[in-house]
Amino acid sequence: MSAVPQSAPLVRPFVLNPGVRKLAIRIGTGILLLALWEGLVTWLAPSYVARPSGVARVLPRVVSSAEFRSDAKVTVVSVFEGLGIGVVLGVVVGLTMGRLRDVDALLRFYVSSFFAMPLIALVPVMTLWFGYTGTVRLVIVSFGAFLPVCLNVYDGTRKLPAQYVEVADSYHARWWNVWFGIALPASLPYLLAGFRLAAGRALVAAVIAEYLVSLKGLGYFILYDSRTFHQNEAAVAVIALALLGVAINSAAGFATRRLLPWYRPS
Amino acid sequence: MTRHDDGVTLPAAPSAGRIEIDGLAKRFGPLSVFEDINLTIGEREIVSIVGPSGCGKTTMLRCIDGLVKPDGGEVRIDGQRVTTPPRGVAVVFQHFGLFPWKTVFENVAYGLRLSGVPKKQIEASVLRHIELVGLAGFEKAYPYQLSGGMQQRTGLARALATEPQVLLMDEPFASIDAQTREILQFELLRIWESRPTSMVFVTHSIEEAVLMGDRVVVLRGRPSSIHEVIETGLPRPRTREVLSSPRFNEVREHVWSTLMQEAEQAERELQESR
Repeated sequence: MSAVPQSAPLVRPFVLNPGVRKLAIRIGTGILLLALWEGLVTWLAPSYVARPSGVARVLPRVVSSAEFRSDAKVTVVSVFEGLGIGVVLGVVVGLTMGRLRDVDALLRFYVSSFFAMPLIALVPVMTLWFGYTGTVRLVIVSFGAFLPVCLNVYDGTRKLPAQYVEVADSYHARWWNVWFGIALPASLPYLLAGFRLAAGRALVAAVIAEYLVSLKGLGYFILYDSRTFHQNEAAVAVIALALLGVAINSAAGFATRRLLPWYRPS
Repeated sequence: MTRHDDGVTLPAAPSAGRIEIDGLAKRFGPLSVFEDINLTIGEREIVSIVGPSGCGKTTMLRCIDGLVKPDGGEVRIDGQRVTTPPRGVAVVFQHFGLFPWKTVFENVAYGLRLSGVPKKQIEASVLRHIELVGLAGFEKAYPYQLSGGMQQRTGLARALATEPQVLLMDEPFASIDAQTREILQFELLRIWESRPTSMVFVTHSIEEAVLMGDRVVVLRGRPSSIHEVIETGLPRPRTREVLSSPRFNEVREHVWSTLMQEAEQAERELQESR
């Protein structure tokens, strides 16, 4: 019922919906990068250097091999174990540091220092303590996951609005009601951000430990195959690690939307 | 009405006041906020406390609930000296104090959950109180989805759900727009009629103080102390007609001129000190 007459366009312009458009751009970029990789390697590099067509050729054989599968399993399991240990310890220590001034004074300087320090530096020292065993990897992965979670939960707890604690006090909350019923849920957005950092650090730590300690796992798989001129096979493991990282991050994003329907990042 | 807190059984003692404030004083460092506050609040009485900003009325309310320790004097509720937040006392905050990660239902249930009330009882009581404050249908909403007025309705329901004998209102409607504030004032009065409690109503709005209170306590001076206690003498239940009654205007003008005197005096002192 518009008062202004409007002529209908004769030809509807071709418009993709935004989601499809985004996906198309993403896939297009991927194809372009692969083509570039293939072209450059074919043009410039010796035949044993990994290239997309080579990776595609070896992919089914590598993925179905028992060796790849067991290596992948070892790495994935240790990453998840380490993440679990790191997150639990990070939450407990971060909350304690955030709520208790003395524990803050005692620990924060050292936790921050370790966070700033490259963890790889610790691996050789760890081999002295734990030998050339999977324990080194688990410790490094756990520690790498612990630090960002701990510091983020600490941050969240320190920024806890005083009014929440006041309300809790007025309803006779005990200290554990405040810690786990108020401070922890209020810090969940921080915790999830910390978890994303932790997941990245855990993957890096696992691979580095495998490189330096020669531990069975995807990292060592890459190292060994690269050095024996099986670069296409090594690339398969690299891609597997990348996918693992992406999967953990997507899971964290999904968890954020599911667990924090109330959260409005400002 | 069932009682579900595990506090002491309260004796019905209408002769003594429910809340007795005795020589109360509070300092922040060298700055004395208020001193020598003496006030007794009856069992079914609403006492408004009004005063200029910074006079310590909100701090006084926190002393009554035991959230803040006074530096002198004491507060007794039903004869028991207050040191920590007592059972049977609930506060409604200016900042609402809702937990953003809890739904309306869970926010209203908060006090009951902490007191370990059985689940079924919590559900019944929470739903009843959500309905009482006019929020039926919003049980699953999160605070960010509610307007300021609805958030404070939730805060009020949370306080009422614990079925307190004493309600402490800390400028509850100060951050709510004018029209909604008026609606909430009359709703609070309606709810109070259905279950009268002792209420301390802190506000900086003179109209609100007179409208709500049986008595209006005017704080003045630095450090502030009770300058005057005025019996409003307005009939209950209070409806909108009260706002246009001569008595309402009389009390309001009286409180206004009392507070203005002080404001002018403070202004003069400021000028002289320059």
